Amino acid sequence: MTSNALCFGDEFPAAGAPCSVQVDGDGLTVTFKSEGGDGAREVVPFSALTLSAGGLDHDHLVVKWTSAQGERTLYLKSPDVIRAFRETVPDHLGLPFAQAAERVRQVRHRRRLVWGLVGGVILATVLGLWSGADLLVELAVSRIPVEWEQKLGESAYRDFLTHQEVMKDGPAVTALGEMTQRLTEQIPNNPYKFEVAVVKSDVVNAFALPGGYVVVFTGLMKKAESGEEVAGVLSHELNHVLQRHGLERIVKSLGLLTVVAIVLGDQQGLVGMMKQLGVELLTLKFGREQETEADLTGLQLLQRAKIDPSGMIRFFERLSEKDEGRMEWLSTHPMSTARAERLKAEFAALPKKSPEPFTFDWKQVQASLGSQPVAVP
Amino acid sequence: MKSEILYPGAFPMVRVDLAAGEHIKAESGAMVACSPTIDIESKMEGGLLGALSRKFLTGEKFFFQTLRASRGPGEALLAPTVPGEIVILELDGVNEYMVQKDGFLAGADTIVIESKMQSLSRGLLGGEGFFILKISGKGTLVLNSFGAIHKIELKPDQEYIVDNSHLVAWSTTTSYNIEKATSGWVASFTSGEGFVCRFRGPGLVYIQSRNPGSFGAWIRQFIPVSE
Repeated sequence: MTSNALCFGDEFPAAGAPCSVQVDGDGLTVTFKSEGGDGAREVVPFSALTLSAGGLDHDHLVVKWTSAQGERTLYLKSPDVIRAFRETVPDHLGLPFAQAAERVRQVRHRRRLVWGLVGGVILATVLGLWSGADLLVELAVSRIPVEWEQKLGESAYRDFLTHQEVMKDGPAVTALGEMTQRLTEQIPNNPYKFEVAVVKSDVVNAFALPGGYVVVFTGLMKKAESGEEVAGVLSHELNHVLQRHGLERIVKSLGLLTVVAIVLGDQQGLVGMMKQLGVELLTLKFGREQETEADLTGLQLLQRAKIDPSGMIRFFERLSEKDEGRMEWLSTHPMSTARAERLKAEFAALPKKSPEPFTFDWKQVQASLGSQPVAVP
Repeated sequence: MKSEILYPGAFPMVRVDLAAGEHIKAESGAMVACSPTIDIESKMEGGLLGALSRKFLTGEKFFFQTLRASRGPGEALLAPTVPGEIVILELDGVNEYMVQKDGFLAGADTIVIESKMQSLSRGLLGGEGFFILKISGKGTLVLNSFGAIHKIELKPDQEYIVDNSHLVAWSTTTSYNIEKATSGWVASFTSGEGFVCRFRGPGLVYIQSRNPGSFGAWIRQFIPVSE
């Protein structure tokens, strides 16, 4: 015989006496366990019973009666016994039984509802932080001083450059220096001291870190057909910095992760996350809106610096023609013809200015990079 | 599985005798010493998801140890991390206990350990977090506490009030409500009790004589602050 219920009463231990309950047509048969097998047996008619729901989660059926030995309380949880009980229960107990069952359902239902609500609130908070709270992000970003931003960007920048081959001088560095100077001269109230590094790598890419640290790969310079094309990319990257896009992304993702960490109560993880931020900076992808913003403000900056913006548009068009995974700039900068089209329209709307050419010869700059311009495969 | 508490008091250990082929679950890191016939395996109770939910939700360790007497009979010595008493319970297949997350030390392989979600008020105010362990099945269960373990026996409908951070384990036939320690909100917190649990029998409630959270706060004032 296996026990399927606990019986409480004066002579039983406080933890309850394990017993086996059987339901038949007249009532319950409760068989207590004793050393070496079945012990005392009590037969209780239905008429003597009162029913309720009880236990920690209100999921026990509590059966009470008064026997010759005193008050008895039986806690039943086994679904089999409860089912047998329901099937044979006489009318006068039917109502209390239904009430007890209803109470169990109510408790479960209420708990599910409360947790559903809590889950909903958490989800809404997370979603709100992720998408709707752009204003909040901007507010937070505007409160971060430029010096902090520079420190943040600088540590990631230095860290990145230690693993790379940086070009110290040469025509490519001089050319980029000229572009940077012509562009930055046109930025009113510029709080940033821009630093542009040329890194030897065949990757067709360029990126900007918060605080004015820009990295241009020689691969991109080899790919470009004119200085104006590189200046276009540079102008785009400078505007990521000026619009503090990197910081916006950090605050956004930090906000979400913080909520997640708080929800999961994993404060250790939070510290680890902060440390990882330096690494995250390098793989930081800008959002579509931020790309568009940097495109447009980049175009305007080119215009002010009297650099022909059609170079930028041409470069974008050329990149969008080849859907090849090898071009890094594409993966971080989703290219689409729509993007080039928008720039074209924007360019057409700008007042015409006669561009001033650069002082360097682009072919010579490219030649100094060590190899011929990459042939289109 | 036979078990015996050695050095009862603040720094006890449990000696578990295993017959050949027998195995037990223990909290990760609980093993102090064992016979060479015993193999230690780590096992994710309840599969990966169960283990993950236990880790993130109850703060319990991700893995349980399994100590298996695979090369003949042997014994193992187990001890908890914190100073405090150990209690051995025999589950008979009908008894079930809720155990706060640090309370489990070891158990026969036949016992079942689940993470269970509490109701919102209990989770927020009960001091054990939203998820606690529900232990059922048949066999020996070894619990540990911070300080001494005290057993409260409740008759049907008998009530008892326990400070929430002193709870170790309680049977599922009991029920409890969270309430303020005193009638006023301010007095509730200035009395140092905050919230308490009003338990209602029948069943057993195991409590610990020390409050880990308060002890942590007390000891923090002696830790030198490094610049």
